[in-house]
Amino acid sequence: MSRKPLQQVPEWLQLFQSMPNIQRFFAGDSNAHGMNSLLKSLNVYLKKMLHHNDSDHPFVWYNLGFNSELIYALGDVCPVPVESLGVMHSLIGSHDITLEFIDHAQACGVPNDCCSADKLAIGAMHKQVYPQPACTVGINTPCDAQVLSTQVIAELGQAPFFAIDVPYYHNDETIRHVAKQLWELVPFLEAHTRRKLDYDRLREVCELSNRMTETIWEWLEWRKRAPLAQSSKLVAFTLILQILFTGSEEGLAIAQGLLREARERSERDERFFEERVRAVWYQDPVWTDLQIYDWFERELGLTVPVDIFGFYAHEGLIDTRTPETMMLGLARKLVACHPMARQFRGNIDVYIRDFMHMVEAWNADCCIFAGHIACKHAWGGIGLFKEALRKADIPLLIFEFDMFDPRVTPYQDVFFEVERFVNEIVYPRKQRKASA
Amino acid sequence: MARNDLFDDVTAIISAPDNPYISRWKASGKPVIGYFCQYAPPELLLAAGALPVRLRGAGSEDSASGDALMSSRVCTFVRHVMSLVLDDAYDFLDGEISVNTCDHVRRAADVFTKKSALPFHGFISVPRTPRESLFDYYLGELRKLQAALAEHFKVVIDRESLNRAIRQTNGTRRRLSALNQLRRLERPKLSGAKALSVHIAAQLMPPDDFAELADNLLAELESFEGYDPPTVRLFVTGAELDEPAYIAAIESQDALVVADDICFGERSVFGSIDENSDDPLDAIARATFFRTSCARMIGDFPNRWERLNRRVAETKADGVIFQRLIFCDPWGAEQHNLLHRLQSDPAFPILSLLREYGVVPTGQLRTRVQAFVEKIEIARVRNGAAGGGA
Ligand code: SF4
Ligand code: SF4
Repeated sequence: MSRKPLQQVPEWLQLFQSMPNIQRFFAGDSNAHGMNSLLKSLNVYLKKMLHHNDSDHPFVWYNLGFNSELIYALGDVCPVPVESLGVMHSLIGSHDITLEFIDHAQACGVPNDCCSADKLAIGAMHKQVYPQPACTVGINTPCDAQVLSTQVIAELGQAPFFAIDVPYYHNDETIRHVAKQLWELVPFLEAHTRRKLDYDRLREVCELSNRMTETIWEWLEWRKRAPLAQSSKLVAFTLILQILFTGSEEGLAIAQGLLREARERSERDERFFEERVRAVWYQDPVWTDLQIYDWFERELGLTVPVDIFGFYAHEGLIDTRTPETMMLGLARKLVACHPMARQFRGNIDVYIRDFMHMVEAWNADCCIFAGHIACKHAWGGIGLFKEALRKADIPLLIFEFDMFDPRVTPYQDVFFEVERFVNEIVYPRKQRKASA
Repeated sequence: MARNDLFDDVTAIISAPDNPYISRWKASGKPVIGYFCQYAPPELLLAAGALPVRLRGAGSEDSASGDALMSSRVCTFVRHVMSLVLDDAYDFLDGEISVNTCDHVRRAADVFTKKSALPFHGFISVPRTPRESLFDYYLGELRKLQAALAEHFKVVIDRESLNRAIRQTNGTRRRLSALNQLRRLERPKLSGAKALSVHIAAQLMPPDDFAELADNLLAELESFEGYDPPTVRLFVTGAELDEPAYIAAIESQDALVVADDICFGERSVFGSIDENSDDPLDAIARATFFRTSCARMIGDFPNRWERLNRRVAETKADGVIFQRLIFCDPWGAEQHNLLHRLQSDPAFPILSLLREYGVVPTGQLRTRVQAFVEKIEIARVRNGAAGGGA
């Protein structure tokens, strides 16, 4: 065996040791099917990763704009989004490791005004925590941060690199252009992983991916019900599902867990708090501390039925009839559905239109623009976004923070901003409207 | 005209959005089109009978209007340009072409279309990596732009007009190349600040007028014996930079910038395009798409690294200054990759600087450059004439 066992890498070891405790902690709530299925699937992924590592199977690194189907379709190949380890540590609360990755990236020359999702990925790559890849894939969506990230993957991966270009426009030509590149990507992956893509296997993977998508759509439908019966903090998981799990049984299991929980809690009409205000959380979730959403619910009666990372657009399923239709379907997912990539890569209109749709469909009272400081495309459009909301008479809170680095804006400041907004602006306004 | 007068002329041309050449062009009834990025080829605009004018923030005293719409988290270059647009300083334009260069320029395109009264907006989605299989997409984008320009400005853009435009821009590049050779001499005849000014002027005036100006300059410089050999010869690379004052501040520290690889500077001089092609747009697209890439081109860093090394050696530069505008991700990646390569292969000394557009260079910049120059000198003494990593 030529690879170092992952158990000898402290950052992995800590994760392996923490997972059972975290699973036990959440298992206490037997109705928390969403969180429990996520943790269970993460565990399965980690076990498979160990197996791939010990068996010397090929690894493929990629960035967060890419989806995992093609890699799963290759068989015994391990998909590795380069952000995964830093994000997992953030999710399980071992922030020291996430922050260490971020700081290390900066020490290696990544400017501090760049996205922390990139920094935690680059810090991890510098620390050589991921098994050496057979090849790497980079896609320029959703934004410049991913241009940065992919350039660094190409440099640090020390493996053949394939870039996927996603154009600016929202049209069929864009989808065909990306599909054409996926056709180029296949022989690249085959050559470097030494695995042949079996199109029947790809069909199975795409069918799993479709079932996951349909389940997500159904889940998001349940979250339209007011009052919201399922925790706000689960909504952003759509993004993780698409990056790491789409096309796998584990992905489908997570989506089913999320749906089951939303449906059962809604049917039981569960209430842990009084819902006073519903918000569309636009921009980035507070990954550093998802408990903050529990606090919003308990203390303010604020729920987040949908956010930009959770919203999955109805752009159709993958047509599995032929290899050609599958490639088109996979391309469509990447450019027209993948959270962030859909809203951030083109002009500002899609960004604003999707927001308006979410407000209406999820019956929200306001918008919370949680301005991750590195999302320069969103900040660059903030004037036009504000204008659109003013015209539509939707209350808007804007604040700056960093989704993985609590040192940028302390929790207290986020609490303060949101509390003031809900209690002094949105709720009184809602009451006024109700009594008018 | 004497050398200094010619440079005064250049300074006048580049110090505000408008200049007398643009006014004269407009007065003759011909359109002027602003463009952000060199992946929007000026040849196509010239062939449409328009004067291509590279968008800049010169003359912007503050970026308040841009900040209000785009926040203070956007590249200061873009904010200054858009402030000028919003404050009507670019009202003389008949249109603009934006490119998906980066997130900042993309958002500038939104502001252009929604907040300016310009009658024509073009957009080019340039593939993010210079791979042969993506070339047709880029060419397709240029063909669409060609059709849109022809329709809007009611002109015929044909083989003849495109080849004529190619001859003009080839002429510009040839002259700039000749001027750049004068920077490489033992006793350089042109400072980096002046050279940058001339490159900028070339992107703000009709090619025929520039030809006259450049020929006069070349003639005047012939008799100039050159500056005393500088203590240190520097190479400047990195993000957008169209502020000669910044280079002048660097050069105030016993150094001369003998070469650069910035898009307003020498990166705009990429050799010549076939002047007799049957499909001149294809020739333009090929030359533009496969030119020395900008940091926004993914996966092409190894080529940029190789070229930088070659050019540093060729121009006998003692060190490299890498500058980046705050909030710029593409050049943030380049900074990381450069530092990473230099760790295992310390090919040249490097100083990495963070810039804000429109900020008069401060003492801090001078101090850092001075320390860098001293470091190079000390290393030179230690290593003998061969130089070596400082
Ligand atoms: S959209 Fe924002 S959060 Fe996502 S990668 Fe880009 S900068 Fe980071
Ligand atoms: S300097 Fe960077 S951020 Fe600014 S316009 Fe150029 S590429 Fe974009």
